[in-house]
Amino acid sequence: MPSLAYPVPTDLSPATVKNTASLFRIVTLALISGAAIASRLFSIINFESVIHEFDPWFNYRATRVLASKGFYEFWNWFDPTAWYPLGRVVGGTVYPGLMATSGVIYYLLQALNLPVDIRNICVLLAPGFSAFTAWATYMFTKEMKDESAGLLAAAFIGIAPGYISRSVAGSYDNEAIAIFLLMFTFYLWIKALKLGSALYGTIAAVFYFYMVAAWGGYVFITNMIPVHALVLIFMGRFSHRLYVAYCSWYAIGTLSSMQVPFVGFQPVSTSEHMGALGVFGLLQLVAFANLVRSHVSSQNFQKLLRIAVVAIGALGASAFVFLTYTGKIAPWTGRFYSLWDTGYAKKYIPIIASVSEHQPTAWPSFFMDLQMLMFLFPAGVILCFRELRDEHLFVIIYAVLSSYFAGVMVRLMLTLTPVVCVSAAIALSSLLDVYLNPVEPDEEQDAVAQPAKSGPADAAPSTASSKSTSSTRGIFGIDTRLVVVFNTLWMLSFFVFHCTYVTSTAYSSPSVVLASQGQDGSQHIIDDFREAYYWLRQNTEEDAVVMSWWDYGYQIAGMADRPTLVDNNTWNNTHIATVGKAMSSSEENAYPILRKHDVEYVLVIFGGLIGYSGDDINKFLWMVRIAQGVWPDEIQESNYFTPRGEYRVDENASKTMKESLMYKMSYYRFADLFGGNQAVDRVRNQHAPKNIELGLPRRGVHVRKLDRPYLPSQERGHARAGSEERERL
Amino acid sequence: MFSIRRWCLLALSVASLLCADAKSSTGDSVLVVVDPKNQDQYSTFFEGLKDGGYDLTFRSPKAEGPVVIEDDAPNFAHVILLAPEARNLGKDITPQSIVQLLSRKTNVIVALPTKQSPLHSLAAEFSLILPPPNTPLISYFPKRDTPSTLIPIKIEDHSSPALTKHIEPVWFSGIPASLGSNPLLVPILRAPSESFASETTVTSGSADAVADSVERGGEGLWAGSSLSLVTGFQATNGARITFVGGAEIFSDELAQKETERHRQSGNAAFSREVAAWTFQENLVLRIDKVEHHPVNATEPNEQYTNNDQVVFSTYISKWNPTKGKWEPYSGLKDLQLEFTMLDPFIRTSLPPVRGAPGKYSTSFRAPDRHGVFKFVVDYKRKGWTSLESSTTVPVVPPRHDGYPRFLSAAWPYYTGAISTSVAFFLFSTIWLAGEVNERKRSKGSKAE
Repeated sequence: MPSLAYPVPTDLSPATVKNTASLFRIVTLALISGAAIASRLFSIINFESVIHEFDPWFNYRATRVLASKGFYEFWNWFDPTAWYPLGRVVGGTVYPGLMATSGVIYYLLQALNLPVDIRNICVLLAPGFSAFTAWATYMFTKEMKDESAGLLAAAFIGIAPGYISRSVAGSYDNEAIAIFLLMFTFYLWIKALKLGSALYGTIAAVFYFYMVAAWGGYVFITNMIPVHALVLIFMGRFSHRLYVAYCSWYAIGTLSSMQVPFVGFQPVSTSEHMGALGVFGLLQLVAFANLVRSHVSSQNFQKLLRIAVVAIGALGASAFVFLTYTGKIAPWTGRFYSLWDTGYAKKYIPIIASVSEHQPTAWPSFFMDLQMLMFLFPAGVILCFRELRDEHLFVIIYAVLSSYFAGVMVRLMLTLTPVVCVSAAIALSSLLDVYLNPVEPDEEQDAVAQPAKSGPADAAPSTASSKSTSSTRGIFGIDTRLVVVFNTLWMLSFFVFHCTYVTSTAYSSPSVVLASQGQDGSQHIIDDFREAYYWLRQNTEEDAVVMSWWDYGYQIAGMADRPTLVDNNTWNNTHIATVGKAMSSSEENAYPILRKHDVEYVLVIFGGLIGYSGDDINKFLWMVRIAQGVWPDEIQESNYFTPRGEYRVDENASKTMKESLMYKMSYYRFADLFGGNQAVDRVRNQHAPKNIELGLPRRGVHVRKLDRPYLPSQERGHARAGSEERERL
Repeated sequence: MFSIRRWCLLALSVASLLCADAKSSTGDSVLVVVDPKNQDQYSTFFEGLKDGGYDLTFRSPKAEGPVVIEDDAPNFAHVILLAPEARNLGKDITPQSIVQLLSRKTNVIVALPTKQSPLHSLAAEFSLILPPPNTPLISYFPKRDTPSTLIPIKIEDHSSPALTKHIEPVWFSGIPASLGSNPLLVPILRAPSESFASETTVTSGSADAVADSVERGGEGLWAGSSLSLVTGFQATNGARITFVGGAEIFSDELAQKETERHRQSGNAAFSREVAAWTFQENLVLRIDKVEHHPVNATEPNEQYTNNDQVVFSTYISKWNPTKGKWEPYSGLKDLQLEFTMLDPFIRTSLPPVRGAPGKYSTSFRAPDRHGVFKFVVDYKRKGWTSLESSTTVPVVPPRHDGYPRFLSAAWPYYTGAISTSVAFFLFSTIWLAGEVNERKRSKGSKAE
């Protein structure tokens, strides 16, 4: 008879216990969903219901087209105002999942006679889907351990800043729905694997298709599941359940993913997808070999069979290498290489390196985004090793891969967060299981070996009949239990405080609207970006082409509604380099480029007046580098530094720097603002130059319109350092 | 749309001009800046202009008004600066303001002085390279009794696009200019090949001085028929300015002087021709409208699909100065159409359509490349108004259902898919049927 550490009620029927527990679970999940949504609304409360940052502006614009013109028009949408004059075939170059989701919600609400503005749907889509993510994580973790771990994981993912950073209200980006799809596809895969069910495999494939339609990060699933299957095969865990689950997922998932126009034939022609195909082939071989082995008993024949399987596998691998070499299969992309060699992008593809979210992650950001989950994470992974069922292998592989990727690229922190939440929940739930279990083990019994499966709910009825007295002290005593449990509770509540603080201060800035605090604590809203875009909208002809650096392309298209040369969809390096060349050349050289592209306005962001560090002068070196990549003879980075190798903007600036269009436009008449005093650039803390001549070319009689909306912005505090991850440079 | 409305407005203004019996396409008000003392010297020229319907306003170089630009708008359609010897043309007439006049589409005739003056720097801005001050054009041929600086010049027919009629030889006295490479320059009167520019003192004006400078490799030599005496310049906005090497060419004295025996000089006619070109009477064209549409349609498409057959037409009018109105003009033989996106993808001739006056049309296949294309008509000929028209239209890839549905080349794949499906169906049928038979047989065997 086990002794109890504390009394438990004995007069409850098992059915009551079960029903109550299930009610608690539902209520808890509902509360978690509420918390997940509520914590993402800081940006609306602090600012307004506005689309954030850069990419969301394009998604929003595309969604408006979808909502107003219907799906087929959206599919065939050719946007002549983007990448002028190349244009952009939006329908074929976009992951339409996000827009389609909002569009469906929009039409649904219209059908219910709820006239909701499409903008509000877009703004609130990410918080809404975060509630689904919490639920999907609950389901996933439930498969790993049990419901209590699932609830913990759901609570963690609901408020973990690592995920909130990409899903606050207004952050209308693909990741908003993709993380839910990622977790749910994984859950379905685990379920299919456990049951060997073709149905679950098919549903997994359907959600995989949704994921493919929603986010380029689907490649993570495409490789994650095959790696899991491969590891299972190598560990000798091949089973018909694996065969059925994988084959139904792969066949249906691949075929359906090829229906997305942007993906097309990539699943059968690019290296990123070859792993899945290879594992598919290997599974057929292994299954065939198993079948033959079960019918043939000869030892020699079985040996021969094994050799044959290995030989065919090697043959397939070499065929793959051959096809890659001859160009039938597209080689790995630059983004992929930069995952393995962090210096690769800087050397060969400056345009990727120029995006700060592609930089390696700094250590503090792990703790800022995940706080205590960070040190619970390894414990959870080790706990997975203890049982090592098939699904635990999945968590282990996922943990290893995503830890590496999150270390390489800041933005991949997003894929790490779910697995951290899951394994941290497993660890914490195991801990609580042990310390909340009222059963005191016998002296001989090893406390650690307490089966983690028996949660308090199960334990209570089983020990209901015991009448042994509870001890209040000792290693199994109530005091030890209280110390651990209260410590855990304290950590959990501190985690909540941390998450709330980080979310409200760092991740809720829309970045198109900025806030600053005066010395008395009063808040000032700085809305210069939108003012400038509306100036363009109100004061220029509808077809006036605006040239700016690519960061502002989507925002100009979305807010100013004017054609742009380049935007955040950086598909054409040469075109971006052309803009970089125009910006970094002298006026005489830049003018023909501007004429050729029908440019009428040039937008330059300058923050030197009030110290906005994300301005174009600070990004200027990237323009130079990208232009140099295409025209190494005309643009050289070293010419923009002083002879002593400094990047200066004052009187000591190099001649090329002083003559560049960007420099002249930035400082043109800047000194006038200081009324005769020494002009100071507050970003670079240098004296600003005086008497910049912005010459108008007079070829015959001709007027050139070159405008320069003045865009000063305020200083950003240290508290908001994290939110600058998407700032370029 | 916008351009059509603009042309309507222009047509209205043209109609109003008709009542005023004006012959210039841009207006009939002329400001003449001339010293009142010398005003009578140019009466033939002024009378010719008045007969043409121009409304002349005279202003002394010393006078303050009437001003040429008031409230950022020009007060006159044309300006003649005929006071070369004046040190100052007035407070509001400076090289800068003359450039402003041009950018506001006012036409200007400038008579250049021999002495150094601000007008020299103005000429330099228009790629005219003037000789040093006080070096007029000199020629000793043909032998005549006039001073060597007063030169009779024969004008070949069609020697300049700006001269449309046959003109008798003219007398010229003044300075030449060598021309830069600016394509907007239109030389109207060339210097005779045996003439040169030099100081008029006895020593330097001699043939020896010329020979000397030839020996120095032509340095400082202003000689020959590459020099221009009367030079037009057409700005990109259509405004015209003419630099005349000396005001005397407009004078009554030279207009009445005989070049050969009993043959009156062509100065009067020449002056009239110069004014006609500068004041945009002659060689003035405009594009009335452009239109594009697919073949077998009349309405324009908002966007074209790759490989569409597109028809492009333009309607061109020429100003008829005698009637004072625009008339459809089918005389351009070398008009071209470009379909460009950064670079021209298609460049084709735009021939006049027979039976439709003023209409030029062509049809071509849109390129197999999507993007924002422009129909560009860019017609620049010396002396003529430059015609520029650019119409933007996107060319898009076919719609999702715009591709051919069944390809004969894909039959192997169709066959593969169909045969696999059929085989799978047959296999399942046979498998299922065979299973039943076997079970029956085994049952039967057991029963036995």
